[in-house]
Amino acid sequence: METWTQRFLLNGLIALVTLAASVLAQAEQGDRPLIEPDVRPQQVDEALIDTENFEVGAFFGVIHIEDFESSMVWGARLAYHLNESFFIEGNLGFADAGETSFEKLGGNVQLLSDEDREYTYYDVGFGYNILPGESFFKVPFVDQHYTVNTNFYITAGGGATDFAGDNRFTFVFGGGYQMIINDFLSFHISMREHLYDIDVTGETKTSYDSEVRGSLSVFF
Amino acid sequence: MTVFGIKHRLAPWLVLLCCLSGMVQADWWWQNGEEEPPQPQVQVAEPFVALRSGPGAMYPVIHTSERGEWLTLHIRKTTWIKVSDDKGREGWVHVNDIQRAKDGRGRLVQLDAPRFDDFKTRRWESGLMMGEFDSTAVNAAYAGYWLTEHISAELWGSQILGNASEIRMFNLNLLHQPFSNWRVSPFFTLGFGHMFIKPKATLAQSEDRDDSTANVGLGLRYYVSDRYFLRMEVKDYKVFTSRESNEEATEWKLGLSVFF
Repeated sequence: METWTQRFLLNGLIALVTLAASVLAQAEQGDRPLIEPDVRPQQVDEALIDTENFEVGAFFGVIHIEDFESSMVWGARLAYHLNESFFIEGNLGFADAGETSFEKLGGNVQLLSDEDREYTYYDVGFGYNILPGESFFKVPFVDQHYTVNTNFYITAGGGATDFAGDNRFTFVFGGGYQMIINDFLSFHISMREHLYDIDVTGETKTSYDSEVRGSLSVFF
Repeated sequence: MTVFGIKHRLAPWLVLLCCLSGMVQADWWWQNGEEEPPQPQVQVAEPFVALRSGPGAMYPVIHTSERGEWLTLHIRKTTWIKVSDDKGREGWVHVNDIQRAKDGRGRLVQLDAPRFDDFKTRRWESGLMMGEFDSTAVNAAYAGYWLTEHISAELWGSQILGNASEIRMFNLNLLHQPFSNWRVSPFFTLGFGHMFIKPKATLAQSEDRDDSTANVGLGLRYYVSDRYFLRMEVKDYKVFTSRESNEEATEWKLGLSVFF
C-alpha cells in the first residue's frame, strides 16, 4: 500500500515536471516570431556603402568653330554631384580647326600654322538637373521592357580656349540629356556654346562655337 | 540576381565602353569581385519609408517598406541610398529616413550627413572660383587644410586671361577666420606666390617673364547646405618685377567650395 502511494505520488510528480517543462518550452516558443529574419547583429558601417558621387566620362562630337568650319571634338568630363539637383563639372576638349573660306578661295594662303589650328579648351561650371525622369524601352523582337532613369540638365561655367596662338577666357553654357543605364554607367547627349573674344580675323569679335556631343560616363 | 541580369543585357555596352577607357574595365572587374563583404542592413523604425525609382525626390515612389522590415543598403549617391528588401525589391531611400531606422543591435543608424556643424570641424576644403584680376578674367582653384578651427593653409592655382598676356599664378596663403561658428564667416588672408607671364602671340614679340608676388585679402565663406559653401574674396597683389617699379593688382573672385 505504501509503495503504491509512493509510486502514485512519484509518477504524479514526474508528470507534473514534464508538463511544466513542455508548457515552459511552448511559452518560450511562443515568444519567438514564426519566421526569423536572416539578420546579423552588426553596426551599420558606412565604409561598406559605396558612394558614387563622382562621374567620369569620355565624349565625342562635332564642334563648329566660327570662321573655321566644323571639326570632330573629343575629350573628357568629370562631374561631382553635390546633391540630387546640383553638380559641378569640368570638361577638357580637343579639336583641330578647319580652314576659313578666305583660305579656301585664296589658294595658297595660310592664316594659321597647323600648330595654331589645334583647338583645346577646358571649363568648369555648375550643372542643374532640371527634369529628372524615366524612359521606357522595348527591345524589338524580344518581349523585354527596360526602364532607365533620365535627367535633363543645364550647365553654365567658364574656362579657357587655347586656339590660334592664344589662350582666351571662355564662357560656356549648354544642356544635356542623361540616361542612367545602371548604378555605374550613364549615357549623355549634350550641346554646349563656347563664347570668347578673338582677334585673328582682323578685328576683335566674340566667337560663338557650338558643340554637340555624346558621351559615356562611369559613376565612382 | 537582377544585377547580373542587367549586366548580361548590357554586355554590348560594356564592350564598347571598355574600348573607350581602361577605367571602365577596372570598374567592371571590380563589380564582379566575389569577396565583397556583406552589405549592412537596417530595420525600418518609422511607420513606413518610401522607396523611389531614382536618387531624387522627383522620382516616383515605387514601393514602401513598413516598420519592422529589414532593408539592405547597397550604394549611395549624394543623399540617397539604394536599398533592397528581403523580397529583392529595390529602390532609393533618403539618408534621413535611413538615420531613423535601426541597425542589427537595435540602435539608430549613424551615417554621414554633412550639416552646418561640420562646417567648422572638417579639415579639408577645396573650391573653384572665378572673377577679375586687374580687370581681366581669372579662373582659380584651391585646396585648403584647417590647421586649427580658425587658421587654414591654402594652395592656389590661377589662370589670368588678359588681352595682352596670359598669366599663370601659384600662391600659398594663410587664412584666418575669427568667427568660425557663424554661418556667414568673414576671413582675412595673407600669402605669397609666383606668376608666369606669357604675352599674346598676336602682339609684337616680347619675352616670357616671371615674377614673385605677395597678396593680402579679405572675404566671406557662406555655408549653403550639405557639404558645400559659397566663397567670395578680394585680394590685393604686389608684383615684384625686375623693372624699376613694382606693380599692384586688385583681384575679386566668387566661387563654390566643398569640405571633406
